[in-house]
Amino acid sequence: MRLRYILLAVLLFVWSWPGCAHSALAACRLDAVFPYSMDHRKIEQVQGLSTVPLYLDLVCTDDPEAQTAVLSVTAPDGFELLPKEGWQIAPDRRRGRGVWHMDAGYGRSFDLLYVRALEGTTAGDKEIRIHLSLTGSGPAESDRTVSFRYVPADREDVKTAGTSPPPEGKAAGRGTGKRNAGRFNWYIQSVTLPVDNQGKRDDRSPEGVLYVRDTLLENFRNRMTGEKNNGYSVIFTHPAAHFLLDMRNPQQDIRLLRVRAQLYDQDGHPVPGMMTAGRSDHESGEGWAGETGNGEGTTALISLDGRKMQAFILPLYVDPLQAVEGDYRLRLTVEGNGQQKVTEIPVTLDKKHSLGLLAVGFSFICLLLTLFYLRDTVHCIRTIGARGAITVALFAAVSFGGVTVPTTLLGDVVHALLGPFSTFLTGLLSGVMQYLLILALLMLYRKPGVTALLFLLKFFLNGIFFGRFTPLGILSMAVYIAVLETLLRCSGFYRPEKTSRGHVLAVVILLGLGDALIGFVNLEQMMFFYRLYYADWYIILYMLVNGVLYSSIGGWLGYRTGEKLQQIAGE
Amino acid sequence: MSARQLWEGTDAKPWIRNLNGRTKLVFLFLYAVLMITIDNPRTLYILFLFTLLLHGLAGTSFSKWRVLIILILLGLWGSMLSQALFFARTPRTPLLVLIAPGTPFFGPLTGGLYIYREGIIYGAVQGLRAVSMLSLGMLVCWTSDPRQLLNGMLAWHLSPQVAFMLVTAIRFLPVLAAETEEIMIALRLRDQKAKGPFLAIRHLPYVAKPLLARCLRRSQTLALSVVSRGFFSDKAARRRQQWEGRERWFCLAFLLVTLAVLFSKVSFLLSEQGLYAGSLRGFYDFSSLYL
Repeated sequence: MRLRYILLAVLLFVWSWPGCAHSALAACRLDAVFPYSMDHRKIEQVQGLSTVPLYLDLVCTDDPEAQTAVLSVTAPDGFELLPKEGWQIAPDRRRGRGVWHMDAGYGRSFDLLYVRALEGTTAGDKEIRIHLSLTGSGPAESDRTVSFRYVPADREDVKTAGTSPPPEGKAAGRGTGKRNAGRFNWYIQSVTLPVDNQGKRDDRSPEGVLYVRDTLLENFRNRMTGEKNNGYSVIFTHPAAHFLLDMRNPQQDIRLLRVRAQLYDQDGHPVPGMMTAGRSDHESGEGWAGETGNGEGTTALISLDGRKMQAFILPLYVDPLQAVEGDYRLRLTVEGNGQQKVTEIPVTLDKKHSLGLLAVGFSFICLLLTLFYLRDTVHCIRTIGARGAITVALFAAVSFGGVTVPTTLLGDVVHALLGPFSTFLTGLLSGVMQYLLILALLMLYRKPGVTALLFLLKFFLNGIFFGRFTPLGILSMAVYIAVLETLLRCSGFYRPEKTSRGHVLAVVILLGLGDALIGFVNLEQMMFFYRLYYADWYIILYMLVNGVLYSSIGGWLGYRTGEKLQQIAGE
Repeated sequence: MSARQLWEGTDAKPWIRNLNGRTKLVFLFLYAVLMITIDNPRTLYILFLFTLLLHGLAGTSFSKWRVLIILILLGLWGSMLSQALFFARTPRTPLLVLIAPGTPFFGPLTGGLYIYREGIIYGAVQGLRAVSMLSLGMLVCWTSDPRQLLNGMLAWHLSPQVAFMLVTAIRFLPVLAAETEEIMIALRLRDQKAKGPFLAIRHLPYVAKPLLARCLRRSQTLALSVVSRGFFSDKAARRRQQWEGRERWFCLAFLLVTLAVLFSKVSFLLSEQGLYAGSLRGFYDFSSLYL
């Protein structure tokens, strides 16, 4: 028992010995670099009136308890410390105090504290003093000095700084040297938009135009599910464009600045549309610059490295879900350490209507396919004979008189009253009636080319009676013929053996889906050729109601009607 | 004015009535290409006015002018209404909120539905394309006999069988219309209890079956007649109207103008995408100013 007390007393004695207390501090390493270069260049001296960061890095290891580190920084005469979050700067701006929390076991904290030379500071060797005080398992203190050489600004630089525009920056307090309230260290020299990722401007591309990618289907799905932009990393991690930011840095500051690009309308109100880089993938979480789709704009950090002129190539990310085409002002805000510079440039958001172009391309493919199918029509006429040909002609006349004429004449009236929603009413004719006639005819003459003949005759009738021999009319007819003929051939509908009801039902639904595709292509063509706008939800709704629903119902009714007509034909 | 009179092209001035069907079709097609190509509102408006001028020169009757104006106004109104709802550019000023974004179901679906002031103007300008073609289509329709256009197509090697089918369809349109009316009367008489404005829509599914049955029976009779008289052969419809040299030259000149406009526009669009050639500056300027 006594032996235990003796051992405890020895341990306490050893622990309280100054050498051991020092060993607690020895486990913490303070690293201080001034002037610090962002790109790790070795800089020996501070020039002119520049602002240069002091890099402080404290690492504590093997300490069983958490510690509080108090850092006191004292700038030399003729220098001042700039305000920084997490630091208390004395009114004379020469002394600063920061408190860091160091975790038990392994703790690390680092920061940049900006130091600026004042006017009239004399040349020579200077020192920054750093005092570290640790409170944790035992109080410990340490002092560091960082030496550097100061070279005053030459006359030209002072002149440049003096003629600079009035600043948004705040005036400093007292110091040994003179502090110029009108002084501003860095400026936005120019902004070039768009450039490529190498910063090269292509003179042939329109200036100030941002192209936004077309994300019709993604938009619709997001709206329906109520999600934001999460999960679309492919879209949101690719910049819409790059811009070249030329920064003038006459005082040769070395510092980190934050750049924010935001869209403003012509009245000066902020509008959503810009965003920061999205997630790179689902595992790594958010991008380096913050949350996606918060509408705050594109943000990035830039590092002034002490050169008088410096160019930055920065990506601009556009949220295709929120961006609306039009003319805006792109406001670029560069800020750092309480200083802020703002510039605005006119910018036009233009959406790439890739779907429209795709639809037109698809239509031309359909046109080729239709020409191929039309070769079958002569053979088809021979197969179905005069009786079949006349039946097709009469069905085409019924289709023209029952669908095209009322849709063209009354469609305008309904369109004027209901606007784009009129298609849901006229769709009863162009969907239900049309497919009723097609399926009824196909039940009588189940031959390849019959559908093509019907649409061809309808097109000619439409041209003769309404003068609609237009490129759009030809493409629209081609899409109908190509899609429906292909679907009917692929579904096995033309096979000679008798088809079951289940098979016909499947064919009818397939035709409904085909009609939805036709509706989509035709709407996109209208948007492309006639420069019209239709909302995504409207296009989808049109496809579902007018396409799938009406056409399938019409197809089924046509099948039932065709069965009855077969009896009449057999009489 | 009856519906039949509306589609007849008998009261037009002789100069346009006697034009070859091919000339009319070529003009119509190339005009449609121009309307698709051009974006400049002023040029679109001039082209639209030109179609009205042609109506004036063709001596379109007052009753047809009335129909044309109604159709043009309805077409423009439709375009303005749809674009006022779906206008997707800025600046845009909402005049009316039809569906607020917070409305259950429709709000999240549509993202809010507004009538935008700028969309109305945009729709009016873009609607000029459609109404110009409507106006020109009506002109061709009112100044041409169907046979004239059919002859034009036959001259371009339209299959005689298809031509025969087309003629059959055209000839039997009035007959089918009359039969539909008969069936509707019969259905109305059978269904005396039913009243209301949507009676015709309710009867629509029942119209199709008897009408198509009659078509089928008629085709049997017609087929017998046609085959016995040898109409359904490649020798049919050999007569062709002479296409005058003056009209041919006009069509060729108009084709060249259209191709030049098309080339100018496409080269301008390509230049915006990076395919720029300094020698085409004149075309770029022309496109930028007028197209």
